[in-house]
Amino acid sequence: MQFGGVVAVDNLSLHVEQGEIVALIGPNGAGKTTAFNCITGVYKPTNGQVYYQDQLIVSNHPQGKMKALYAGQNKDAYKQVLEPTPDRITKLGLARTFQNIRLFKTQTAFENVLIATHLHRTSNLLTATLRLNHAEEKRMRQHALDMLEVVGLADLKDELATSLPYGMQRRLEIARALATKPRLLLLDEPAAGMNPQETDDLGRFIVDIKQRFDLTVFLIEHHMDLVMDISDRIYVIDFGRLIATGRPDEVQDNPDVITAYLGVDEE
Amino acid sequence: MKKAKIVLSLLLIIAAVALVGYTLSSQGDLHDLVMRLDPQNLAAADSRMQKARDRVLDGLPEGDRTKDLRNLDRYLEGYGPQLELDGENGLELFVYRNGPSLLAAGIALAVIGAALLITQLKALAKYRKPAVYLALAALLYAGVYIVENIAGASSMLMTVLKKGAIYALIAVSMNLLNGFTGLFSLGQAGFMLVGAYTYAIFTIASDSRIQVYQYYDGGLVQFALPTLVAIVLAGLVAAFFAYLIGLPVLRLKSDYLAIATLGFAEIIRAIFQYDGLGPITNGSNLLRKFTTFDTALFPFAVAGACIALIVLLIHSTYGRSFKAIRDDEVAAEAMGINLFRHKQMSFVISSFFAGVGGALLAMYQTTVQASAFKASMTYEILLIVVIGGMGSITGSILASFLFVASSEWWLRFLDNELVIGGVQIPLLRSGFRMVVFSVVIMVMVLFYRRGIMGDKEFNFSSLFKPRVKKGGGVRG
Repeated sequence: MQFGGVVAVDNLSLHVEQGEIVALIGPNGAGKTTAFNCITGVYKPTNGQVYYQDQLIVSNHPQGKMKALYAGQNKDAYKQVLEPTPDRITKLGLARTFQNIRLFKTQTAFENVLIATHLHRTSNLLTATLRLNHAEEKRMRQHALDMLEVVGLADLKDELATSLPYGMQRRLEIARALATKPRLLLLDEPAAGMNPQETDDLGRFIVDIKQRFDLTVFLIEHHMDLVMDISDRIYVIDFGRLIATGRPDEVQDNPDVITAYLGVDEE
Repeated sequence: MKKAKIVLSLLLIIAAVALVGYTLSSQGDLHDLVMRLDPQNLAAADSRMQKARDRVLDGLPEGDRTKDLRNLDRYLEGYGPQLELDGENGLELFVYRNGPSLLAAGIALAVIGAALLITQLKALAKYRKPAVYLALAALLYAGVYIVENIAGASSMLMTVLKKGAIYALIAVSMNLLNGFTGLFSLGQAGFMLVGAYTYAIFTIASDSRIQVYQYYDGGLVQFALPTLVAIVLAGLVAAFFAYLIGLPVLRLKSDYLAIATLGFAEIIRAIFQYDGLGPITNGSNLLRKFTTFDTALFPFAVAGACIALIVLLIHSTYGRSFKAIRDDEVAAEAMGINLFRHKQMSFVISSFFAGVGGALLAMYQTTVQASAFKASMTYEILLIVVIGGMGSITGSILASFLFVASSEWWLRFLDNELVIGGVQIPLLRSGFRMVVFSVVIMVMVLFYRRGIMGDKEFNFSSLFKPRVKKGGGVRG
């Protein structure tokens, strides 16, 4: 992924197995969120591919003349590959949360989660407007309530999303992501701004929902305790490049990682 | 408490039925009544009085109500003091005179009573909400009908109400786009124009076409559609234009979108004035002699139905995703909402209703000319939406009535020169109205920055529901 002259993510190869909890760590500005954004279609990678369940979902995004050439060669894959918009990727079963919380500000906690049920609708504009989708609407509401229950916010469902405490807003984002019925949950710094106690709870919570919904979890995190606690495997990147990978204990002792985090010892 | 309400609602229904029955029964025997008004038969001695009375009586078999009433008025005006107008006769006369209004009131009362009964019965709890809305609609339409009967169809009040209802529909359609989907579009006047023209073109009576299209040999279209079909068609054509314009334009954001839609609205206006399209659009000449309405109930019915549809849409899963797009596009997209498709949907629907509103406006004005649909018309609507509150349906409706009333009626006196005691009041002259109006709007925007209603809705149902609602019910 390249922004003008800056190569934000370079030659990075990640692999997540089904049922794993995999963490992506690295110092500030290492390119973690950029990698995330490439996977979820927010950015279109200048060069690179994303496969999900052996299916190519994001591919290099040629511009200009290259685009026409590419479209000519791969007619079938053209639409899917050239327009990997986030909504398509979410429909495939990849749901995400955001580093800087992005809740729907004017809406209640319940409405926030309810919106995420929209993508599995079977009603069309007409049936929804004329309320012919009663059963579905009821299902949507129930599903949203269930998700709020899962994250423990059922009592606060009618609170305005932005009036919730910080930690709860994070949980609400997770509930919203879960409401899209994902298979792979991508969490972008879910513990940012939390105290150790909350972080601990969050770790248990992530493991819990992973088992409950049979999820695969891929997360970016700065809290090392959390990462070491729950991850099956860890990728470490710095300046957009992969510098280490492996089980938590392996990564912890890797000299490259220590250097990246603590800086190079000049002596 | 509950029992009292049930009894009350039953009483309401009984009273309503009695009212309707009495009104209906007293409509037929005016002949009798007129004779009874003059027990001593003074008319026999006064030939002019006899004539006036005979005119009333002779007119009755024709069954023309307005004519009957006019004759009756003339008779009563001339000889009122000599007639027995007190007591029962007076009441009967009142009932006859206000028959339709009383009927409307009776029916509205019956509906309200039934609705109240439904809200109190557990077995019918499912229909509680529709019942409340039905009661409100009955109240509204009966109210409009009665006011029209009392104030007269061409009174200033009715003019304001008609135009207000039409503007309310257009403002709500714009609010759907600007307030609920967060798309800052300024193309409303263009889509109104498309709607107005489509409606006008397809409802001009065949034999008047040669007159209207005098420069184009009677025009191309040589048939007329039924009114309602033409209104729906007006909406569809506007929606189709919106679809085409939306394809390139909706990829833009905020200010750029506003400029592009404004430009397209102007282009549409120019195209409709183009001489080459004269056989269809009559060039830059007026379109007239198409079907119009003469009762305010028509615009109220159409606008009411359309606004009801928009409200239903906003509270459906699609409306929720529109609001999500407004709040945060990135998050909405990450939740699986296809941005472009939903924006396109909102744009097309908004334009459909703007087109319907344009058709109604054409009916209200009785003539259509493309040059009237300038950008300033869009600004008027935008003003209503902003004053009412972005994202508030009731706000838009309220604001459009206030806007129309103050621009057409309440501030009229400022345009007339006024002399009190030989001194001419300064500043009062033609055009001063708009100065005051602008100042009022500025003050409003300064003090109610988010509009009259903000993004809240005015809540009627709390007037009907006795219990304290659970939180969150007030929000739209």
